[in-house]
Amino acid sequence: MEIDEVSTSSANAAEIPSVPVRRGRSKAIYQFTQQNLPACKPVLTPTWVITIFFAVGTIFIPIGLFSLQVSQSVLEIVDRYDAECVPPSFRSNKLAYIKDSSIPKNCSRYLKVNKDMKAPIYIYYQLDNYYQNHRRYVKSRSDKQLLYGLKYNDTSTCSPEDATNGLPIVPCGLIAWSLFNDTYSFFRGTDALKVNRKNIAWESDRNHKFGKHVYPFNFQNGSLIGGAHLDPTIPLSDQEDLIVWMRTAALPSFRKLYGRIEEDLHANDILEVKLLNNYNTYSFGGRKKLVLSTSSWLGGHNNFIGIAYISIGSFFIFIALVFMLLHVKNPRPYGDTTNLSWTWKGISS
Amino acid sequence: MSVIVRDETGQILLLCKGADSIIFDRLSKNGRMYEEATTKQLNEYGEAGLRTLALAYQKLQEAEYSAWNEEFSKAKTSIGGDREAMLEQVSDMMERDLILVGATAVEDKLQKGVPQCIDKLAQAGLKIWVLTGDKMETAINIRFSCSLLRQGMKQICITATNEATLGQDPEKSVKENILMQITNASQMVKLEKDPHAAFALIIDGKTLTFALEDDMKHQFLNLAVDCASVICCRVSPKQKALVTRLVKEGTGKTTLAIGDGANDVGMIQEADIGVGISGCEGMQAVMASDFAIAQFRFLERLLVVHGHWCYKRIAQMICYFFNKNIAFGLTIFYFEAFAAFSGQSVYVDWYMLLFNVVLTSLPMISLGVFEQDVDSESVYVDWYMLLFNVVLTSLPVISLGVFEQDVDSEVYLQFPALYQQGPKNLFFDWYRIFGWMGNGLYTSLIIFFLNIIIFYDQAFRAGGQTADMTAVGTVMFTCIIWAVNCQISLTMSHFTWIQHLFVWGSVTTWYVFLVFYGELSSALDENAFKILTEVLTPAPIYWIITLLVTIACNLPYLAHISFQRSFNPMDHHINQEIKYYRKDIEDRHMWKRERSKARQETKIGLTARVDAKIRIITSFKKSSTTGKTSRIDICGNKSGQRQDRKQRSG
Repeated sequence: MEIDEVSTSSANAAEIPSVPVRRGRSKAIYQFTQQNLPACKPVLTPTWVITIFFAVGTIFIPIGLFSLQVSQSVLEIVDRYDAECVPPSFRSNKLAYIKDSSIPKNCSRYLKVNKDMKAPIYIYYQLDNYYQNHRRYVKSRSDKQLLYGLKYNDTSTCSPEDATNGLPIVPCGLIAWSLFNDTYSFFRGTDALKVNRKNIAWESDRNHKFGKHVYPFNFQNGSLIGGAHLDPTIPLSDQEDLIVWMRTAALPSFRKLYGRIEEDLHANDILEVKLLNNYNTYSFGGRKKLVLSTSSWLGGHNNFIGIAYISIGSFFIFIALVFMLLHVKNPRPYGDTTNLSWTWKGISS
Repeated sequence: MSVIVRDETGQILLLCKGADSIIFDRLSKNGRMYEEATTKQLNEYGEAGLRTLALAYQKLQEAEYSAWNEEFSKAKTSIGGDREAMLEQVSDMMERDLILVGATAVEDKLQKGVPQCIDKLAQAGLKIWVLTGDKMETAINIRFSCSLLRQGMKQICITATNEATLGQDPEKSVKENILMQITNASQMVKLEKDPHAAFALIIDGKTLTFALEDDMKHQFLNLAVDCASVICCRVSPKQKALVTRLVKEGTGKTTLAIGDGANDVGMIQEADIGVGISGCEGMQAVMASDFAIAQFRFLERLLVVHGHWCYKRIAQMICYFFNKNIAFGLTIFYFEAFAAFSGQSVYVDWYMLLFNVVLTSLPMISLGVFEQDVDSESVYVDWYMLLFNVVLTSLPVISLGVFEQDVDSEVYLQFPALYQQGPKNLFFDWYRIFGWMGNGLYTSLIIFFLNIIIFYDQAFRAGGQTADMTAVGTVMFTCIIWAVNCQISLTMSHFTWIQHLFVWGSVTTWYVFLVFYGELSSALDENAFKILTEVLTPAPIYWIITLLVTIACNLPYLAHISFQRSFNPMDHHINQEIKYYRKDIEDRHMWKRERSKARQETKIGLTARVDAKIRIITSFKKSSTTGKTSRIDICGNKSGQRQDRKQRSG
């Protein structure tokens, strides 16, 4: 029986058990059931440790430096305008200002460009303290309705924004209802800068998520207006602002793409931004900012990734050095048996 | 045990067999003709290690028989609690005044490899007691042959004195007598100065009934625990269970009971671990036990190799489960702080749903259950999270739990002292558990905050797009999968193709899943459409973050094991190194030396017997060279093998 030869340790270690010859599949099964599969058993020796730590460190630090440099090359202009764009008479009662649609919401801001910015320059609006990631908010949409429009009836997830005056709303839900509606136009001196508002949304969204034959219906007809109105003649797949807005952000402070400026901006240019301050962020203490930014292959301006890489890389190198020092000071020979616990007992007793 | 038969001539005979002490009590005056001779022969059989029985008979008259038969039928057909007692009484009426026929003896050989097995187990630090129904001489002789007893061991016999010789209240005086014996013996053991002295406690079933009573059992246990080996003879099955329970509860240690017959079932079930030997005595023991083996000697491999592996694997697996689920679950909690505590999950719907439904079945199979309290209705209705625990991280854990071998099985068998890592609980102490939990906490913090800060609000791609919740959640999840799977590959020390397949396969499965999930737009969550192919793959920041977070999460653990291995290694680390550098082959002398040292100091077993002999011979040599005379006990080996000389020279 096959158990005999592998089970107990016989006193005579030189005895060679007779193993029946197995081939192929039965050999593999035998190895599996006897837990004798061919295996590699790597051992973490000091050489390996030092090599790994140094290698990681030397890879990470250059990546970090490179990322930092790339991030530094991205130029950004951020301008908070929600406080300034309220006329002085309404500063103490901003809510009244924003809710009154008869008051003109025009505002002019001046942005100074510090360094040359190469096209394309991306325009974002940034909202702070705006929880697009709130569970009720995220739930409040109907993806099927966005694709099929009025043909799709079950919009219960959108309530309370699923129907008004007895008629269904297309697109339903709080996310669509709260569509951002500030607008910006840019002037450099007297020239208007052309802002490209096409292709700001993900292509897959335009082609597959929003129906080409679905039109806004009964939208923002209720008593409470949440945000922008939608042109009912344009199908949803072309309403790029809506598409961008409906991609809910992860954090309470987020930016969304508004458009692109396809011209270079030069250092010391003064840009005049004529904006319409329509959107109500005053009732919940939100903030609105306008951001112009170039981009790199890593994206926008964020030094953190470079810093993180550099710090972790240096940490690795530090540990490698500490380890090397300790190892050189008291090296433990490989497989040294004096450390075995039964040897200590023998020595101490 | 008797049987009543009618032979061809019409004569009714009662034929009886049983233990000699019982039969001799029931003989009639003229039946005792051969009693002396039979007793002598029985003793000889016992000393030869045979199991003995005495036979007797009686001729019955018709009238006598029919009267008795009536009583017997009445007893048999009675219903009630005392049916047994009635049957006993009626049988007793008949089984007296017997005529002795003779005795039989059966050789019940020790199985192959039993002495070596016991020796190894003793060297691994286990204490061995024997509970048997045989008479004392047989039990003693068999234990000599497997070296549980040896010459030079002081034998402490606790016996109940014969009741008939005492006056009033015989039971009380018997008990007092036994208590006195136990106390005297305990004194003797305590006062013994010689560290190599060994005591053997021998007690029989009759005495055990008194010794197991509540007022005496603690003294009995204390004495028994001090002795090197304990032998209980003539024990009934009920007493076997009681003794096991006494040891289990009295010492608080883990007990293992091994037996092969139906009379061992009580003991097997009572012990923490019950092992049944399948064989000639039937399958009752096997059916009642936790483990079944075919021969006694396999117990060694079962305990020393598989028991140890099991302990290590389960300990590692549980710690690792804590780690990975804390790492994963806490990221969801951190996100709540950023989502106005509304209960929104950062991970996509469906991921977690799939993960967690399948999660709870696979880990059960793999011996570790970690319950995931996720309600699909409320919040965490996410595919990612479902897939997490089942497919993407459970298969590597299963491979850790089932296949991990830190040291080869041959090494365990050669180094029994490694077994002590289990009883000392070196791998599942609170320090280790909290360490792993802390590691999980650290991992979760790194994953969450690095991702959030890097994806903060700026664009994440050259095209200027900003990341939405789906993208951030997917990146975070990717980081978790990588971090957790790299962690387990650092923990494992034995890589077969299965481990590679499970670990790297899990990571690949994640990417494959993302591709497929991204393609299915209509049925599932819309937000994740083409998440990997369109959104994340072309963004270098995705890959850079994955690399950064994975390495950062594994930094503490990697540093910890590097430093521990180099400056504070454990026994199995050194063994692994020896094997890795092939020092066992180069330096056989060292290997053998360590083998011989790697055992607990034992007082029973073959090696102990050899050691004792060496001590006697050296003390004889010493005293003869110094001119002193001393009394020596030359121990003669009655039976059994000598250990080979290799171990002596080590």
